[in-house]
Amino acid sequence: MKKLLAIATVLIIGFALMAGCTEQQASGDELKIGVVASMTGAASTTGKDVWQSAVLAADEINAAGGVYVEELGTKIPIRLIQGDDESTREGGQKAVSRLITQDNVDVLVGGFSSAVVSAHQSIVAEYKVPYIITGASTPIITRRDDVDTFYMFHHAPTTDDSGGQTTLFIDDTIRPAINEKFGFSADRPLKLAILYQDSPYGKGQQDAIKNTIAQENLNIEVVSEETFKMGETDYRTVLTSVKNSDPDVVYVVAFLNEQIPAVTQARRDVGMNTIFIAVEPNDDPDYYSGVGRYGDYSIIQSRFSPYAVPKGPIEASVEKFVNDFDEKWGGFPGMMGAATYEGVYIAARAVEDAGTLDKAQVRDAIAQVEMPQMVEAMKDQTIRFSDDYRESKFDLYMEQLFWDDDLQETRPKIVWPASLKETDFVLPDWFEPGKE
Amino acid sequence: MVVSPDIALQVVIWGLYAGCIYILLATGLNLIFGVMKIVNFAHGELLMLGAFVTFTFFTISGFNPYVLLAASVPILIVLGVMIERLCFRPILGTGKLNEIFISLGLIYIIQNAAAIIWTDEWRIIHSPYESITISVFGVNMPLDYLIIIITTIAILVALYLFLRKTTLGRAMRATSQNRKGAMLMGINVERMDMISFGIGAGLAGAAGTLWAVSGQVFNPYMGSLPAIKAFAIVIIGGLGSIPGAIIGGLIYGIAENFAIFTLGGAWKDAISFLILILVLIVRPTGIFGESSE
Repeated sequence: MKKLLAIATVLIIGFALMAGCTEQQASGDELKIGVVASMTGAASTTGKDVWQSAVLAADEINAAGGVYVEELGTKIPIRLIQGDDESTREGGQKAVSRLITQDNVDVLVGGFSSAVVSAHQSIVAEYKVPYIITGASTPIITRRDDVDTFYMFHHAPTTDDSGGQTTLFIDDTIRPAINEKFGFSADRPLKLAILYQDSPYGKGQQDAIKNTIAQENLNIEVVSEETFKMGETDYRTVLTSVKNSDPDVVYVVAFLNEQIPAVTQARRDVGMNTIFIAVEPNDDPDYYSGVGRYGDYSIIQSRFSPYAVPKGPIEASVEKFVNDFDEKWGGFPGMMGAATYEGVYIAARAVEDAGTLDKAQVRDAIAQVEMPQMVEAMKDQTIRFSDDYRESKFDLYMEQLFWDDDLQETRPKIVWPASLKETDFVLPDWFEPGKE
Repeated sequence: MVVSPDIALQVVIWGLYAGCIYILLATGLNLIFGVMKIVNFAHGELLMLGAFVTFTFFTISGFNPYVLLAASVPILIVLGVMIERLCFRPILGTGKLNEIFISLGLIYIIQNAAAIIWTDEWRIIHSPYESITISVFGVNMPLDYLIIIITTIAILVALYLFLRKTTLGRAMRATSQNRKGAMLMGINVERMDMISFGIGAGLAGAAGTLWAVSGQVFNPYMGSLPAIKAFAIVIIGGLGSIPGAIIGGLIYGIAENFAIFTLGGAWKDAISFLILILVLIVRPTGIFGESSE
């Protein structure tokens, strides 16, 4: 028995050493990209989307020969390594530690949820690995000063950008429409209720809305600010409180699993005949099927929509991405997936520009990257990171949902900004403005 | 904040609905604890399974989801019996730690099995009555809520009659009150364990169906929070006391909703546990702790 145990121990150690040797030999022969994704846990739907989109990008690049690295004088393939953050802070710390210290990745891409990403940023900072964050949306991610974020880049709209754009739309389009339809004076302020998730994301949006109103001197009065816990399923009481404040518009900062019951319960149970606004992560086929008729005439912000593609140069690339994704995985990619798809391309481009896998030089190359927009509409139609906080800037647009009898679901039309608009914003007949 | 009577009544109605789900869950937990003296931490997962069974039958058959109580309750009863026979009976009496780890293990097994079968996407069911609203004392109330409240009352009355009026029910109560005494009187206590676990699981299944029908979303990981609250309700009402579970569930549902209305949504869970602490300070055995069923 002792002899057997000794042989088994020697074999295990031998295999472990051999595995280490193999890893060592592979280093430099490939571009190792760690994809931080919530493959399990509450955000696993988004996590799978992130991973599948990254795989699609890597396959495309590898099919074209790989990534040229001048220092090596050859093209090398991309190898993606999955880091499952388990939708938790602790899971994210474990996954990122493993990707960096055991898998020796050259670049990190992904990272969903501001809370999860915030928790593992210090590890990334310590090991100085370039990290293209494509999910978390709080601007704190690259602006915090308690962690060195020099190696981190934010390729997702921040809550400042997202909340700011939507607030401008409310003032620019919804407020005049209400005042005109109901014969109110033109200077009547729009009464806005904010119902937000009790999280850094929700609070970031709430701050962005109020800051935009103050900075732009908008004629919007915030009549109610209510929170709900992340993952909440019953909104009736908090909506009763919101209704009690007589809003014209309710701005809901919620994820898909929260937005659907919030809107459904508001319209059906609480009897709120008002306009609901959804934040951009909700523009997903599941939202349209889940919210059903109750989503009619509601507003949703977007940067990558399943059913509304901005006309222009981006149209063909979105169509190709969607078709390729459907062919490979079945189904429709989400916007986190779209950003991660671009994130892999940004990483590949930066390595080519740097001509090396040296992390410091790759980091500098990401900071300098200038790429034509890919599948999401970008400011100036270009992917680049700002000098101050290393944020890319998206061209966000607003859609209004309209019921389709044939499909038995709503479908979106772009109503703002004017440069992308497909149709005018419509106030439904059942709409009731807040009392004077 | 000034709360008008109409608004207060509206909040009470939302609280009653939430209370119904909690009551069914907590009553099942109490029944299992009362007879077997084990704490099933995986009870919330049985609620989740009830919701998914309803979802599956609803998708396949298109039947009225309330009718599907006739599917979810028996299926969960059978599942409960299997869990009791395969997981809890072998370790019964071997120590509380074993029971705790078995039920904690079951949480992960059931969650992952559900994720494999139904995927981990959030699901929702649209009730055929979802667009119907009725007026109750001048307050608008979805018809679904009235049905849910009536269904819960009917289930509880049936359970009461079963426990009070049938030989099997009396045998279960006897086992709950004195296990050794019941054995000496010829009651097959292992059979009582099996039946109580089955009924407890069936009640969780009914809670799952009502959860789904009311338009709330669900996924394989949604059971944990309702289960934690059900445990708190059991402690508030008194371990093993079914009237305690009913009163505790109602207090919880209404208090939570008033906390949301007056203090904000972030206080929803905090107020529940504040009540728990207060009850334990004033009455450590819970409201009905001494008169266990």
